[in-house]
Order: sequence, then structure tokens, then C-alpha cells
Amino acid sequence: MKKSNLFTVILAIITSVSVIYAQDDNLKISGSLLTDERFLLTDKNDWAWNENRLTLKLDKKITSRSKFYSEVWLRNIGLPNITSSADLYNKGIVDPVNFELREAYVQLSGFLSKNLDITIGRQRIVWGTADKLNPTDNLNPYDLEDILDFGRHRGSDAINLNYYFNNNLSLQGVYIPIFQPANMPIGIYANALTHEMELPQGMVLNEFSDTILMPRYNLAQSSTAGLKFKGFVKGVDFSLSYVWGYDGLPFATRNTFIPVDTFGGININSQLSFSRTHIFGVDMATSIGGFGLWAEAAAFMPDKNVIMTNDFSAFYPSSPVPVTMDSLLLDSSEPYVRFVLGGDYNFSDGSYLNFQYMHGFINERGQGNLNDYFFARYEKKFFNEKLKIAPIGGGFIVTDWNNIKDNYTILFVPEIAYQATDNVEMSLSAAIIDGKGSGVFSNLNNFDMLMFKLKYSF
Amino acid sequence: MKAIIHSALITIMVLMAGIYPANAQDASAIIKRMDDVMYSPKDMTGKNKIVLIDKAGKEEVREATIQQKGNDKRMFRFTAPASQAGISVLSLPDDVMYLYLPAFGKERRIATSAKNQNFAGTDFSYDDMESKPFSAKYTPKLIEAGANVFTLELTPMTQSDYSKIVVTINKTNFYPEAMDYYDKGNAKIKSAKYIFNKVGNYWNAQEIEMTDLKKNHKTKMQMSDVKYDTGLTDEDFTVRKLIQ
Repeated sequence: MKKSNLFTVILAIITSVSVIYAQDDNLKISGSLLTDERFLLTDKNDWAWNENRLTLKLDKKITSRSKFYSEVWLRNIGLPNITSSADLYNKGIVDPVNFELREAYVQLSGFLSKNLDITIGRQRIVWGTADKLNPTDNLNPYDLEDILDFGRHRGSDAINLNYYFNNNLSLQGVYIPIFQPANMPIGIYANALTHEMELPQGMVLNEFSDTILMPRYNLAQSSTAGLKFKGFVKGVDFSLSYVWGYDGLPFATRNTFIPVDTFGGININSQLSFSRTHIFGVDMATSIGGFGLWAEAAAFMPDKNVIMTNDFSAFYPSSPVPVTMDSLLLDSSEPYVRFVLGGDYNFSDGSYLNFQYMHGFINERGQGNLNDYFFARYEKKFFNEKLKIAPIGGGFIVTDWNNIKDNYTILFVPEIAYQATDNVEMSLSAAIIDGKGSGVFSNLNNFDMLMFKLKYSF
Repeated sequence: MKAIIHSALITIMVLMAGIYPANAQDASAIIKRMDDVMYSPKDMTGKNKIVLIDKAGKEEVREATIQQKGNDKRMFRFTAPASQAGISVLSLPDDVMYLYLPAFGKERRIATSAKNQNFAGTDFSYDDMESKPFSAKYTPKLIEAGANVFTLELTPMTQSDYSKIVVTINKTNFYPEAMDYYDKGNAKIKSAKYIFNKVGNYWNAQEIEMTDLKKNHKTKMQMSDVKYDTGLTDEDFTVRKLIQ
């Protein structure tokens, strides 16, 4: 975002805040400042992440049954990417800053009927009972910017209706008019979700470019809709859901290979598109014998077969027909299922254990491509909860059970957090990654890092 | 010899006369009277100030609002400090509890083992915070009937972190004045002092001071703006309300 635009947006916010504030002193302004700094433990301790995030939340009770809420991020994120003297004239490069409207909505309770709530505007609609890893949470686009914060989503401009049949049963309907894809990891995480391209023998990649085909922005093509029936019966919370949406990560549906020399050098232009997908979800949560238990699953069914076409016509200029080779990426008749099983327990000494098994990560599609992830975290609080130590945190990931020693990742993330004052928390953690194969986290194998965060809430 | 026996009988009769009022109201009746005082309102709303005091005397303050209906429905919303504002806990019958964390934007079912832990960094356990009648949780035994107070020993009927609680009950108004909590080794581990005031027709625990004797740490829970029987309904204690 250009600085002038950013300034205009900030000015508009401050002005609107002032106007609202002047009208009613019930407006609550709260937020936080987060400093998140990470450096690599290898090489020359390169800086891996630099983020200073100011979160501003405006919350206003309009009437006893309606409210306005918004959340914005003002951030200095990333490292200066200066490559020429011209960049020194661009403050956006010298000192990268960005602005995000995370949420801004109005919520009306008892709208038209006392059992109906409606929320309109940019909002985060969180589905699923699992911890951060939610296969059924598909209405909002993934925010994959920080791959270590893999449950994060952005808000969507949506109409969200909740009808409560009684205190235990409800039906939710959501309509999102404009499709927004996931944003990809940045900085050193940029390649975490991309697979290495396998080229035919004898070919050497010279240049790669791509084109993304977005759905047409109209009522039919760019829309996402969701329906969820939620209930509580005999001590068990459950829900059944359906989403008519898009897979937020694009598929390469056409690769055009163009020879550039006689030594096998080629340029590739890849055409990417998003697959319309039906997603059927189910989840539950309960507590048995003191343990919190949850399960969540989603079946993904592409609306049409997803086919990747490799176009080699440029190699055969005299051929009367295009020379192409198709590969079936996803079969619309074979849904694939991602799921999570998990639990937690609180011990009387103040310690806490959380464990989850997940089948299928965000970027894994197709039944044969889903990997197994085991995550666990044990933490204990000391000194009246001022000090929290998590000596065990992380996961074990297997990408091929037939050859585990070459297809695994061990992710170790211990953490110490200290509540310095009521509103200031500092944490020091490490991410130690060891792995082989092609998994998401094994791609981060060389990025062992130390992370420091400070959060001040106001 | 006869004179000695006669004298002893008189002594016993005098002693029995002294404890007669206590026996007139057995322990079960006393604990039920205390439950009536503590839990008779249909519902309650109020503000809660939690003062945490460490052994050096340093204080930290947390604030919350409370809504309660009957003995088994409660909504607890933190309003301060900023790092905790918005965190809410909904407690429902049969140990069903939900936690709402604004950062996650959804409710989360809490494992019942959370009751093993202290509530939000205070010296109160979830068990202490529970408003289930004492007569339903403990078997009472009268230890002493003093001039102004009854002293009862309460033994848990089901699994508990405590082996017993010794409670001192005001003889006139039947509210608790103090409670001492003992661990399985019969060592006193916590001690609570109560200050009651009258709000409308009900006795209100205006301040409860809980001391963790092991940590030498105190928590004061102070109630203000208390209103009883305002007509709260079951709909005020739902996930719908929790996340609004």
C-alpha cells in the first residue's frame, strides 16, 4: 500500500472514531502492540522475521442488542529489501509498513425474530472444535503469511445469519459474495508450500512465469456459501456443515513449455486456477474422565475434475494438433477427507497437556497426498501464573509410512513466557526442525530459529 | 461415693444444658440454613473485583462481571486488565463449561479437569467457585457451638482436593464467616474469610478473602453493584450470549 493511501485510511479511521466517540462514550478502544523478532540459529544468524504490529480494536454497543466491532492491524513487517539506490527514495522499501482491516462488522441480535442474529461486514467466521488445526474452517481465506501460525485466517466480507431453535440447537447460514484466495507465506517461509517442479529428462528450467485465473466477480462465480447445524446433546457439542466454496490455494491447470535453446533450456508459463469445491464437515467436543476430547473432519469434493495439462506444442511446430499431456490432479468422484483428533488435560499442579493428530495439512489435496501430523504441548505455570514454561511443544510428521527414515519431520518448539506486568507478556521460544522428504516443515529444515515476542495490551 | 456420683451427674446435666441449643439444630440443618442464605436468590448480577496479593504485599487487580442463575448457571466476563478483557467463562449444569477467548473468536469446551486448577490465577479453585449447595457436596459434623458461631466439619461426599473443610457459621444469620481447607494429609492449606452485607432480602458475600497458606498468597474477591432476582433466564446462559 502506498504511503499516501495508508495515511488516508488511517486518517479516515481516526476521523470516524472521533465522530463515533463524540456521539457516544460507550465506544471501547483496546488493542495491543506485538513485537515479534526471529533469527536463525544457523549460518550467520540471519534475521528471519521482523514484525511490529499495532492492533486497534473498536467495540461499540449500539443498543442492548446490537454492536459494532472492528479490528485493524498497522504493521511494520519484513526487512528492508534494498537493491538499488532508487530504493532509498522509496520509504515503503526502506521501512516496510502495511495496513490491514481484519474485521469491521455490525451485529444485530434478535433481528426480525428474537431467535435470529445477523452479522454484516468483514468478519472472521470460525468453524471447528479442534485447536487451530480446523479442517472445517473454510469460509475465510487462509492467512499463511507466517507458516508457524498456521491456523490464521483473514476476515471476509460476509452476511452471517444464526438462527437459534432453542438454547442447544442452531442453524447458521453464511454468504460471502467475493472470493478471496489464501495469501502465501512470506520471507524465509516463502517456499514452504511450494513443491519442486519435476521436469522431463533433459530439460533445464530457464525461466518460470505464471498467470492466475480468478473466478469472475459476479453473484454466481465469486460467491461462497455455508450452512452449519450446531447442537448440544447429552454432554456432546457437535456440528454438521457444508460449504460451497473454493479451494483457496490455486492448482496449476496448464503448463506451457517453450524451448529457448538447443541445450534443453525451457521457459514455462503456468496457468493457475481455483477449484470450486463442496466441503462437508462434522465436528464434536466433549469432556470424559476429566479429559477434553474433540474430533473434526471435512470431506472435500471438487465440483469438476482438476486436470493439469502440459503443453509441449512449441517443441513440435509442424504438428497440426496441439501436443499436450494431461494429468488428473483431483477426481471429482473421489472426495478426500482431512481430519483432526485431539484432547487436553489440566493437572492439579497447574500443568496442561494438549495433543492432536491431524491427517492432511492445509496445502495437501487428494486422498493419496495427505500426510500424518502428531502435535503435542505440555506447559506448566509458576509464580501465580506469571511464568509459563512449555518444555515440550511441537510435532512429528510422517509423509511416507513405508519409508519413515527418509520422510519425516520433527518439529520442536519449547517456550518460556513471562507476564512482566498485568498487560505485558514476553516470550522466548525456539523452532528446531529436523526432517527429510517433501513435507511442509521439512522444507524449513534449515531454518532453526530463536523467537522473541513481546505483547502489550491496552 | 454417692456424693461424688451425685456431683458428677449434676456436672453432666449442666454441661448438657450448655450444649442443648447446639444439639437442637443438628449439623445438617445448620448447613442447609447456610445454603439457604447463600443460594436462595433466583438470580444475581454484579461486578467482581479480584485483588491478588503476593507475599511481599504487591497487589494486582482484575475486574469482571458476573451473572448467575440458580446454583448451576454462571457467566463470568473479565473486563480488566486489558490483557484479559473479554475472556469469558460460561458454567452450566453437569460440569459443562465453555471458555471464550476473543483472540480465537469462538467458544471452546473446557475439559472438566480444569476444575483441578485455580480459577484465573486466583487462590480459588474452580471447585471453590462452584455454587453448588454445601449440603449436596459435603457431609457435615458439628464440632462446636460457640456463643456467636457454629463450627462444622465438612467431609466431601465425592472426589475432592480437600479432605475436609472446617466452616464457622454465624449463629444469628447463618452465613459463613470463615472456612479452613485441609489437604489429604490433614494439613490446613487454605483459609477463607467472609464479609457479608444485606442487599434487599438477601445476604451478600461482599468480600471473600482467600489465603493460600503454602504460597502465602491472598486473593480478595469483592462484589459491588449486586442485584438479585432481576429475571435472568436460561437464554442468558448460552453459547449464543457467551460469544456476543
